Amino acid sequence: MGNRRACIIGGGMSQWGVREASLVDMTQEAGKACMEDVPGLTPKDIDGFLFASSYAGRCSFQTNTAPVMAERLGLKPTSICARVDVLCAGGSTGILLAKGLVESGMADIVMVAGGEKLYTPQKWEVFYSELASIDHDWDAPHGLGLPPPYFALTAKEHMRRYSTTKEHLAAVSVTNYNYGLNNPKGQFHKQLTMEEAMAAPLVVDPLTLYDCCPITDGAAAVIIALEDRAKDLTDRPLVYIRGGAQVSLHSVSANWPGEHLADWAHLRKAAEKAYATAKVSPQEIDVAQTHDCFTISEIIEVEELGFCKKGEGGDFVAAGEINLGGKVPINTDGGLLSCGHPFGATGIRMGMEIMRQLQGRAANQVPGATIGLTHNLSGLNVEHTIVVYGREPLP
Amino acid sequence: MSILGVPVLENRYPVTMDMWPVEHKAFNRIHRFYEHLKEGRLTTTRCKSCSHTAFPPRVICPECLGEDLEWIDLPKEGKVLVFTEQVKGVPLGFQAPLIHAWIDLGPQSPIPRLLSRIINCEAGRLKEGDEVRLVVFEVPSHPIEIKKETITAERVYYAFEPKG
Repeated sequence: MGNRRACIIGGGMSQWGVREASLVDMTQEAGKACMEDVPGLTPKDIDGFLFASSYAGRCSFQTNTAPVMAERLGLKPTSICARVDVLCAGGSTGILLAKGLVESGMADIVMVAGGEKLYTPQKWEVFYSELASIDHDWDAPHGLGLPPPYFALTAKEHMRRYSTTKEHLAAVSVTNYNYGLNNPKGQFHKQLTMEEAMAAPLVVDPLTLYDCCPITDGAAAVIIALEDRAKDLTDRPLVYIRGGAQVSLHSVSANWPGEHLADWAHLRKAAEKAYATAKVSPQEIDVAQTHDCFTISEIIEVEELGFCKKGEGGDFVAAGEINLGGKVPINTDGGLLSCGHPFGATGIRMGMEIMRQLQGRAANQVPGATIGLTHNLSGLNVEHTIVVYGREPLP
Repeated sequence: MSILGVPVLENRYPVTMDMWPVEHKAFNRIHRFYEHLKEGRLTTTRCKSCSHTAFPPRVICPECLGEDLEWIDLPKEGKVLVFTEQVKGVPLGFQAPLIHAWIDLGPQSPIPRLLSRIINCEAGRLKEGDEVRLVVFEVPSHPIEIKKETITAERVYYAFEPKG
């Protein structure tokens, strides 16, 4: 890699929610917000473009989306122009790929964008399309398209083995909804109380309404630039992409890699590899964005990422360790629960929030944060993706 | 079947948009799995060279890349480890209660656990530790164009149901 180092220098997102807009519209909104975040940058500076989207083929009847989006954004990429499909981790995957492209010398400045248009003209198609998210011939025929039942099983297992309670789950939703209050681009702006979270209507036992992230339309974009170019383009502190990992050990639910559903062996492996490549330990992470598709996910993630011991995730979140002032503030922009989850855009939103935290300009700022992490799980918990960011490059 | 607003799709079944596999031998090389299901057998493939059993069935052995595979039967009975019942928001094509269970197929099974839908079971009846057995049922057939002929492909799928 020589001295070529990749930095994340700017980002922006469209309004997220139930949008009166197409995927192409929202991608333009996000691209504009992103380019305006780096005032010195013009479209012609960008030589690479990656677009993370999983449902464009299904919900917009559009494959090969990268040239479509690049054209609408005024980009004329000369190093790479491609779509990335890793469902919920598409955005983070794009960022890891951009790091590789920049550090290998293939590209200098890459825009990583992503988005989904999930609300279709008929409501039945919205939910029906989700059957495409999982191993089609082996899990979809069991009606596992929408993930709540799978994560409900996971929550039951965690509750039984580790005495995790409904209050622990609610501590995650209350924290993340309240972080989301000052994120104007997020889907919800709701002051959620513990009482409301505890009294919410049932989705799949033990998960209730605020335990589950919503279905969301939206797009986001970030700029990954070579360190030398980044110094010319921005006066802000540089944020380096220090390392990361993406681990996939199975696809069909029968081949689950852990001892039980609350044992996420694939995430442990991803964490081990990501910390090794970034040369950091879990204790050095100042701020994190972890994949809170369900409250139980965040509880298991803080365990497997090494922020607390296995089985103590419930106590960790309930003790306020994920809040500002806690051990590792998590999902400081609202997370999936409050911002929503347009799959391909989510990892980009997370990367953008960590960038802002490390530049000292986040809405819910963690004072003096220098090392941050993003984490995504994909689909029916079949893949884990981690990106580690730092104010300092790798030693 | 008429699809409003898409006149070109009138009377056409969008096979690639349903949740069941395309099981006919003209479209996959593991069609014997579905043929065995029709005989009430849950099967998968084992490598004759290295004896590795894989689920779902393969056309190559993921351990040694061997192509000489044989079909073996999996247990048709198991025990519920953990389960959920979904009463609201059940996806199109499924009925409430939609019950999912992790099933322990026992220490002798080369595939220790399966996740399956539990059918023929009213809400509130199932308990952890309950014994369940394989059940095979018909799912919608679909047309296949083979050369100049259009045939109807019959399909089945599997779930588990409470025993006794």
